[in-house]
Amino acid sequence: MSDQKRVIEYDDQTVRLFMIASIFWGIVGMLVGLVVAAQLNFHFLNFNTEWLTFGRLRPLHTNAVIFAFVGNMMFAGIYHSTQRLVKARLGSDLLSKVHFWGWQLIILSAAITLPLGFTRGKEYAELIWPINIAVALIWVVFAINFFLTLAKRNERSLYVAIWFYIATIMTVAMLYIVNHLSIPTGLLHSYPIFGGVQDALVQWWYGHNAVAFFLTTPILGIMYYYMPKAADRPVYSYRLSVVHFWSLVFIYIWAGPHHLLYTALPGWLQQLGMIFSLMLWAPSWGGMLNGLLTLRGAWDKLRTDPVLKFFAAGVTFYGMATFEGPLLSIRSVNALAHYTDWIIGHVHAGTLGWNGFMAAGMFYFLAPRLWKTKLYSVPMANMHFWLGLVGILLYVASMWVSGITQGLMLNNADAKGILAYPNFLETLQSIRPLMLTRVVGGGIYLVGFILMAYNIWKTVQSGEAVNGVCEVSAAKDDAKKLGLIGAVMHPAFLYSAGLVVFSCVWLFSDGLLELFGMGATIVVIMSCVVHFTRSGDSFAQWYDKLLENAMPFTVLALLSAAVGGVVQIVPLVNIDKASVAEDRLQKVYTPLELAGRDIYISEGCYNCHSQQIRPFVAEVKRYGDYSRLGESIYDHPYQWGSKRTGPDLARLGSKYQDDWHFDHMINPRSTSPGSNMPNYPWLAEKFTDYGSLPAKINAQKMLGVPFPDWSPAEIDAAAKAQAKAIKENLEFRGKEVDADTQIVALIAYLQQLGKSMDVQEQVANK
Amino acid sequence: MSQTPKEEKIREHTFDGIEEFDKSLPNWWLFTLYATIAFSIAYWVYYQKASMGLDQEQELEAALAEIDEVVAKAKAEAGVIDNDTFAVMAKDPDIVSAGQLIYTQNCSACHGQNLEGGIGLPLNDADWKHGGQPLDIQKIVVEGVATAGMPPWGPVLGEEKVNQVVAFLVSKQAK
Repeated sequence: MSDQKRVIEYDDQTVRLFMIASIFWGIVGMLVGLVVAAQLNFHFLNFNTEWLTFGRLRPLHTNAVIFAFVGNMMFAGIYHSTQRLVKARLGSDLLSKVHFWGWQLIILSAAITLPLGFTRGKEYAELIWPINIAVALIWVVFAINFFLTLAKRNERSLYVAIWFYIATIMTVAMLYIVNHLSIPTGLLHSYPIFGGVQDALVQWWYGHNAVAFFLTTPILGIMYYYMPKAADRPVYSYRLSVVHFWSLVFIYIWAGPHHLLYTALPGWLQQLGMIFSLMLWAPSWGGMLNGLLTLRGAWDKLRTDPVLKFFAAGVTFYGMATFEGPLLSIRSVNALAHYTDWIIGHVHAGTLGWNGFMAAGMFYFLAPRLWKTKLYSVPMANMHFWLGLVGILLYVASMWVSGITQGLMLNNADAKGILAYPNFLETLQSIRPLMLTRVVGGGIYLVGFILMAYNIWKTVQSGEAVNGVCEVSAAKDDAKKLGLIGAVMHPAFLYSAGLVVFSCVWLFSDGLLELFGMGATIVVIMSCVVHFTRSGDSFAQWYDKLLENAMPFTVLALLSAAVGGVVQIVPLVNIDKASVAEDRLQKVYTPLELAGRDIYISEGCYNCHSQQIRPFVAEVKRYGDYSRLGESIYDHPYQWGSKRTGPDLARLGSKYQDDWHFDHMINPRSTSPGSNMPNYPWLAEKFTDYGSLPAKINAQKMLGVPFPDWSPAEIDAAAKAQAKAIKENLEFRGKEVDADTQIVALIAYLQQLGKSMDVQEQVANK
Repeated sequence: MSQTPKEEKIREHTFDGIEEFDKSLPNWWLFTLYATIAFSIAYWVYYQKASMGLDQEQELEAALAEIDEVVAKAKAEAGVIDNDTFAVMAKDPDIVSAGQLIYTQNCSACHGQNLEGGIGLPLNDADWKHGGQPLDIQKIVVEGVATAGMPPWGPVLGEEKVNQVVAFLVSKQAK
């Protein structure tokens, strides 16, 4: 009976669709990137049009390349390799179709809503709430389809690529849902449920791990399938796979706060972010080693095979970026690099180098196989490789120099605390040539990518779509069953869990509990070492069994990824907002200021302006007293920012007159010669949306912001009265403007930035 | 070239034709892993457990204090007399002891041997009727307070001695 064979036809049509979609959206996303990079050099390239302005297009660029380009590429790679690794057709043809078309619809709606200014105002999480729900649903469809495929597999054991796919699916779901929790105020607008420092922490727990679990782990899985396939060599080390997979999944999630060093985030969280980033170095390099050393004995093929060229360079960029990451998270390095172009360069070393090159390698590998033909032109693929490489190097190197130059200039205060470059614009002028080099580098990279699209199009034309097949034995041999209990009750798990729990007790407690935690940690480590040396085989057997049981494996992967988030986020979410405000507490916005703030978010001002003054001499001299935790505690979403293309705005209020802001918005160069900020003429023409204010204030009250009990009529009257006062002031200073235009509301918001209350004073007033 | 040396252990099971070696972890890689873990624990203990390092607010305070000192010194060298200059002079033992001698000879009769007051107001508390900034004190010493019976000392002592006695008083000022 075991001789009975049956033939399985893989669903490669879905793979083809995802691959084509990835190439198409890749071109779109990179083209938008090129446009925004050019706009930084030539401000007039928004053509005075709101939906072509940097603040709205930059989110389109990031979302398109992350979710559309890499997203579709990831789905193509996962679906193609998983079917072959588990010898089964995709779980459900219907779900595959829903997944593909649903995802494209999401991308399309993002491409429409983002330029229109509909945004949640959080980086890489800008999409509005109805799209968020669609993303979550489609992700669940993807997960069901994937796990259904595993359920009907004809291969007992799970290969390392599958481990990474499982970690990706579970962790992205967790991150995405938590960071997108919102209260809607209307069909197109919502406020995140977290505010201020909590929102900052959740945002970067998500933002950092979007890099980890959307741009890294799935691509590592893809590397583990396509690299040995293309090189026709065995993977370098299985045990390295095991060690670096689990350490990567466990450690990555803790590193998010390194995006918030020297901010108002509590010090213990900042330090956790830094040390876990350092500890991430070796696990990341484990992946690089396993990739590069798989090429042992096949290095000669790099000369002839463009696929391997791209893979080898891609993995090398991965190694570079994962060394640079820990470096940048060292507090003193971060003090220089944060808010500058260095971070932009770092990200693009990862995305252009690692993601872009791995994608290209995979596409060149897949196209001839999925369409059963030969690659149209190998020389053209080689040309793509060299154009891409030169493009990346120009891009990354110019961003290094730019970031370090501007960082040094901005932080330069002499022994008497006098700023060497008091005018921010001076530092902007010094990096202009580098910003231009970046456009050239990115342009060259895009030309290479378009060559690839052409090459693959011609390849597709020369062949015909063919689905892969595979012969499997009809008789399924029974897997070694290991339920969740069996997985958890083994010493291997118990030691790991004990180590995590006891070391947390040691690190986060004091007194007797601390001593107990330290003792218990040492006992666990020692007994584990003894136990392992005596009966290491039983550990290996347990792990082999675990690999044949997808459910317990998935649970353990999710558990190890969840620990870091729980330890960091739960203590900060459960605090009473007013009690942690330290010495200053934010004032609640007036209705007009709130309307202005929503305009600020909608225009994407946070893409270029931070609202967080770090406790450095140069920053305190330049921008005013450093930002306190309480000063943004009621901000949903927080607006601390991550990049200073322009100066920090945390204490902008009252620094200039209303008419300065008016002139500056209409033409920034009239007040700030040499500025690269675009003109915002429509702000003086479009009207402020007063009608939505009651619903917005109501939502914020539900979130715990202490707005007074205003009736809708009171809100409307208050907003209009304040607008009238600003309009009259502008008129007095010779500026004609309608009181109900957006520019008036925005000025109201900008003029209160940094106006917090002394906590003592606040208590006394009560 | 693609021959596998005999001693390289290869795993029995293959996946879609992919084989896996089971080579041991490179020592330098393991060293990197352990070294970063050891550093991290030490860092945490240093900052969080032993509280030996400065936090970011303390770092800023220290940096600003250093700047204040540099600025005050530069002013003193340039001959500018203001509150900052007195703060620097009050830390200079030579000036303070010269000021103390002047105080004992001229002021202690009314303000007490130990600044505890007598006919005049005490100078060892935090209560400064005419202002407690160094320049306020200097003004009183120079001009006196006619209504309270304090004579002007400026003409008598001259600028340098007045400044020395003010520096002495600032050094003894209750915070």
